[in-house]
Amino acid sequence: MQRRKPVALAWLLCLVLFLGGCATDFERKQDSSNTLYIAEVASAFPQSFMPWFSRDGIAPTISSLLYSTLLSHDDLTDSYKENLACEWAYLDRQGLPMLTENGQVDFERLEEEYGGKDTAFIPVRFALNPEAVWSDGQPVTVEDVFFTFDLAANQKLSNHAGALVWVNDLLHKYDQNTGRLRRQGIYTYDTGANERGYPILESEKDQVFYFEISKVLGAITPLVSTVLVLPRHIYADLISLDHPINNTDPDQALRHAYENPVGCGPYRLHREATNNQEIVLQRRADYHIKDKDGGLLYKVDLLKFILFQEINVAIYALKKGHVDVLDASVSANYARLFEQEEDITLFPTPGIFAQTLVINLNPPSDRMTPARRQLVNPQLRRALALALDQDALISFVLSGRGRKAPMGLVLEGELYNPDANLLSEPIALRLQESNRILDGLYPQKDEMGYRLDEGHRLSYQILGSPGEQDLINYLQVLFQKIGVEVRYAAKGSSPENTYLYNGNFDMTLQSVSFTPANVDIMMNAHFCNLNRSSNYGRLSDEELTRTIGLMRATLNRDLKFDLVRQIQEQVAQQYYKLPLYCQDVLSAARTDRYTGWVKAEGTTAFNSDSLMSLRQVGKE
Amino acid sequence: MKRVHRSPNLLQKVWQHPQGKLGLVLVCLLVITALAAPLIAPFDPYDVTQRAEKGLSPSLTHLLGTSISTGQDIFSMLVYGTRVSLLVGVVTGLSTMFLGAFMGILAGYGGRLWDTLIMRVVDVMLVIPTLPLTIVLTNLFGKSYGMIIFIFTIFGWVGLARVIRSQVLVLKNSNYIKAAQLAGASKLYVMFQHILPGVSHLLIMSTALTSAGIMVAEAGLSFLGLGDPTAISWGKMLAEAQSGGALLFGHWWWIMAPGIGIFISVFAFMRVGLALEEVFNPRMKRSGALIRLFKSMNSSYIQQIFDDMEERGIPQIEDAMERGTV
Amino acid sequence: MRKGYLLERVLYTLLIFMVVVTLNFFIPRIGVEDPAQRYYPPQGNMSDTEYNIIKQLTKKQYGFDVSPWEQYLRYLSGLTRGDLGTSLQPGSPKVATLIAQRLPWTLVLSVSNMVICVTLGLILGTSAAWRRGSVVDRALMNASTVMTALPSFFLALVFSLYMGFEWGWFPAYTEPDMVASFDFSWRAIVQVARNAALPVIAMSIGGIISYGQGTRNSVIAVSQEDFITTARAKGMSTRTVKYRHVLRNALLPIVTSLGMSVSGLIGGSVVIEQIFNWNGMGTLFLTANNTNDYPLMMGIMLFLSAFALVANLITDLIYSLIDPRVTVGGSRS
Repeated sequence: MQRRKPVALAWLLCLVLFLGGCATDFERKQDSSNTLYIAEVASAFPQSFMPWFSRDGIAPTISSLLYSTLLSHDDLTDSYKENLACEWAYLDRQGLPMLTENGQVDFERLEEEYGGKDTAFIPVRFALNPEAVWSDGQPVTVEDVFFTFDLAANQKLSNHAGALVWVNDLLHKYDQNTGRLRRQGIYTYDTGANERGYPILESEKDQVFYFEISKVLGAITPLVSTVLVLPRHIYADLISLDHPINNTDPDQALRHAYENPVGCGPYRLHREATNNQEIVLQRRADYHIKDKDGGLLYKVDLLKFILFQEINVAIYALKKGHVDVLDASVSANYARLFEQEEDITLFPTPGIFAQTLVINLNPPSDRMTPARRQLVNPQLRRALALALDQDALISFVLSGRGRKAPMGLVLEGELYNPDANLLSEPIALRLQESNRILDGLYPQKDEMGYRLDEGHRLSYQILGSPGEQDLINYLQVLFQKIGVEVRYAAKGSSPENTYLYNGNFDMTLQSVSFTPANVDIMMNAHFCNLNRSSNYGRLSDEELTRTIGLMRATLNRDLKFDLVRQIQEQVAQQYYKLPLYCQDVLSAARTDRYTGWVKAEGTTAFNSDSLMSLRQVGKE
Repeated sequence: MKRVHRSPNLLQKVWQHPQGKLGLVLVCLLVITALAAPLIAPFDPYDVTQRAEKGLSPSLTHLLGTSISTGQDIFSMLVYGTRVSLLVGVVTGLSTMFLGAFMGILAGYGGRLWDTLIMRVVDVMLVIPTLPLTIVLTNLFGKSYGMIIFIFTIFGWVGLARVIRSQVLVLKNSNYIKAAQLAGASKLYVMFQHILPGVSHLLIMSTALTSAGIMVAEAGLSFLGLGDPTAISWGKMLAEAQSGGALLFGHWWWIMAPGIGIFISVFAFMRVGLALEEVFNPRMKRSGALIRLFKSMNSSYIQQIFDDMEERGIPQIEDAMERGTV
Repeated sequence: MRKGYLLERVLYTLLIFMVVVTLNFFIPRIGVEDPAQRYYPPQGNMSDTEYNIIKQLTKKQYGFDVSPWEQYLRYLSGLTRGDLGTSLQPGSPKVATLIAQRLPWTLVLSVSNMVICVTLGLILGTSAAWRRGSVVDRALMNASTVMTALPSFFLALVFSLYMGFEWGWFPAYTEPDMVASFDFSWRAIVQVARNAALPVIAMSIGGIISYGQGTRNSVIAVSQEDFITTARAKGMSTRTVKYRHVLRNALLPIVTSLGMSVSGLIGGSVVIEQIFNWNGMGTLFLTANNTNDYPLMMGIMLFLSAFALVANLITDLIYSLIDPRVTVGGSRS
């Protein structure tokens, strides 16, 4: 019949397409060059690479590879390594560097010199690495540094990008209204260093500069390790009051600069191969830091970041061999999937974030409810804390992939204070104690076993996202043992604005992480600051605030760390953010093309240590 | 004793219809499952202490295994899911019926002004893309089944209103309505006493069919995560299966079970609806396919043509086409 | 009637469009005191005065520093220039750009789906109609109830599980380099075909059955018309009767319902795209929803509504040309 022919043709076409399709294979399997395929899970890839814009998603990773900071800071050991700056030191009042014999910061002398009340600022001297060059060949000089920090401090020109960059403690201030420089805090050869008393010879004028920073021990850290230095020769002519740098509608020239970044990091952007699904970075041979044998520091020539919008798709790609490594943490449920594969290795590392249950213990008067009034009582909060069976939570919610988090919220490491951990006793004893406390407060129970306060059941809502439902369900079981009911409440689309910043919640979940590098800012944000900050429950304890203030102000490093330990005890006593667990980071990588993956705490298998030690299989 | 012959009531008629029988049986089974869920399901999926090891394959204790992401018993989730599906489907079907009937009768009988107004609104509603709008509204105003029922009702009355309106336009010209008008009956009286019963069979039939359609749509919305996150529904089970890695692990039972559940419930209601349709209007079994096809289209131009014809009293084309055997 | 009808429809469509635009603008602002609050960065270490300055600068940057009325006017003037807003994604791409990037890929799925549904549906339906009561016919009738009850996304999952994951016939998820490396070469086209196979199959099965049933009913109905009997009586061969008279007229309702489905071309594949991770408008919309990217969400809503309105208008106008009264009434040229 006439109809048969087109049908037959159609089938033939399908067959041809199918067979033809089988012949094509994904590029990675055939790629024998030194290219690493990295799976990223994000909603979108950035198309412009202005490093001050975004701290979300993949942007910080890419920025840290394209650009450099003055120094690199190791969060966990609180030590500095050179980056753009190869020398640096605090200076005493005579202008001499305060260093110990092995070149480390002499904290004792620092405290001696500036510990008194008459200190206005602390001078710091830096010398740049003369071999540092931009990816377009221009050398990195102090002009770039001056330009960068000056711009960051100038709110009008940086259009609040400076706020993202945390140059608060650099004493280089612009008047917000007039836009004029009020106080200079960066001194180079051409901008009055010698006149100020900071000697710079003409031969070193491109490398040496001075900062004046405020009298806070941790002030230097965000300045040297967070601020990514920008090339002056690219941006100086493009930035003006009409065209500030953080502009969402940049003009042609500025947009071109954003999309074709010139940086001094170990990699540069491979513009032609980059699009909104893939970002390709090319290793720079002229990177100023070499490895210990004098060869290139990073071992992978080409980095290809591939965008996946969902974790399952990324896992599938890893299984099929489309990518080498998954730069995302997978849930423990997938562990079995990878264990069956020969070429895939699982890299579990301890995490650095503690998941906590935050209690709203000081709501504003217009948000007070009877339930929240109960929570104001520290005894009740203590009872709730005692009921937390962290072992059971880890086993049930994380399938065993996690470790316990202490009440002081600082994980094991240099700063950890074991005395702050008030949850160290066995759970059976703690439950007894918890029930004993509650029997004293709310002895009456209803028919389901929940305690009653004047006839109303003790019941609280925990604000969470759908992924946290499982955890909240298990918390229901735990709290049921002491007669308290908790329920899941959806967070909604912008929880900070809707509930958290104005104290309109009973309890919520929050991840916290305190390291030597961030204690100054984070402890303030979590326990003292009452405006739009992480202190959702609006804790306002005078003693604690005073201790944190002292901790931030002192220049004596030993005293500072002692104060941090003391703070942990005080925080624990508040029973404000109750620790639940610290989840492991579970990532996976293939070993059929690259070996030498290095585990680093708190990150996935794709980290800078790995990049420095990877070797191609079969090309030793 | 003489047996009194009573003409069979509606339920019996549907029962006698071969397809209707199957539909009714299935609907009953579903309702029983929904009501007696705690008795039928071996575990309580809402109870956290009854979770088992995650990702188990089907066995005697866990007939459909356990979920990879949470360790819940899948069979129990299937049983409890009946509740949400039936509830959303039936409630929405009923509310759509009320709103659609009201609007349709008002448009058909209330006068030119109401007619134009309502039909214009209908035109707009037909054009707006419903799924994206649902996503936006649940984002702004919160995710819950109440919101979903609300949105379905707002968009669902449209189709029914048009059909009811057509029928009302026909009824308007019938003799007994004209007689009632002559006798001085008020509009409201006529609407409730005469017109409403006249369209009642359409309403019942449409409720069944709408409920079926709603169940599929609700499954889709739950799949996208727009329903109540704490409730267990079949669409959500499919979403969990997909995001929990059932595809990666090859756990086909986790995917098949809720799908078959959806299928059975929709199939049951559709069978009942179609049986009702054929019971009410046996003529429609054989003719009017072309007209029905045209009428089901969402073109206002075509709608205008049919209105035009009906108002001028041109006899139903179905009558004209009813010749011979088909 | 036609000219008047045309004008009325166009004006009416414009009116609806203005209503949609206004709703689109105001819905995200309902109940929110400070619509700019989603854009503020966290306060961090800043003092209150500093933070207030930041808030002012943010407001100015995103255009919230003027009155709502002026914001609305700016929005309208932006629309006339084709500016649907700026997304909150990193790099602040324009909504219109993102839509332009993703739209062709959604169309690949929808248009393929439509073509397959119509062709196979027609073939199936006419076969069933010519052979009343045969296996094909009965199977078609039963299949249509079954297909309505089976949601297409469930079918998609099943196909993905078996044909994608277990048996490996087609890629279970869209290959990530399909979009980026597309260069109209034969290799690229085959890659797109392979990746689109599962989504299109899942979407089209229901459509094939429904077009098939529609065709069957239409063909049967037309076969009963007087003029067919006349033609047969006149001695025309079965073949001529079949193709020239019955089929051509039976196709009309199919064509009209085809036109109806044009407006659903873009918005209809959201769930399927999500399942297969297909890089189209559906996944863009879902991503915008998950990241609360309101400018993007509302921009896409506006685009979809406009598209639906225009598609509806055009199909209505086309019908007014192919006046169905001619075919229904039985008189024929």
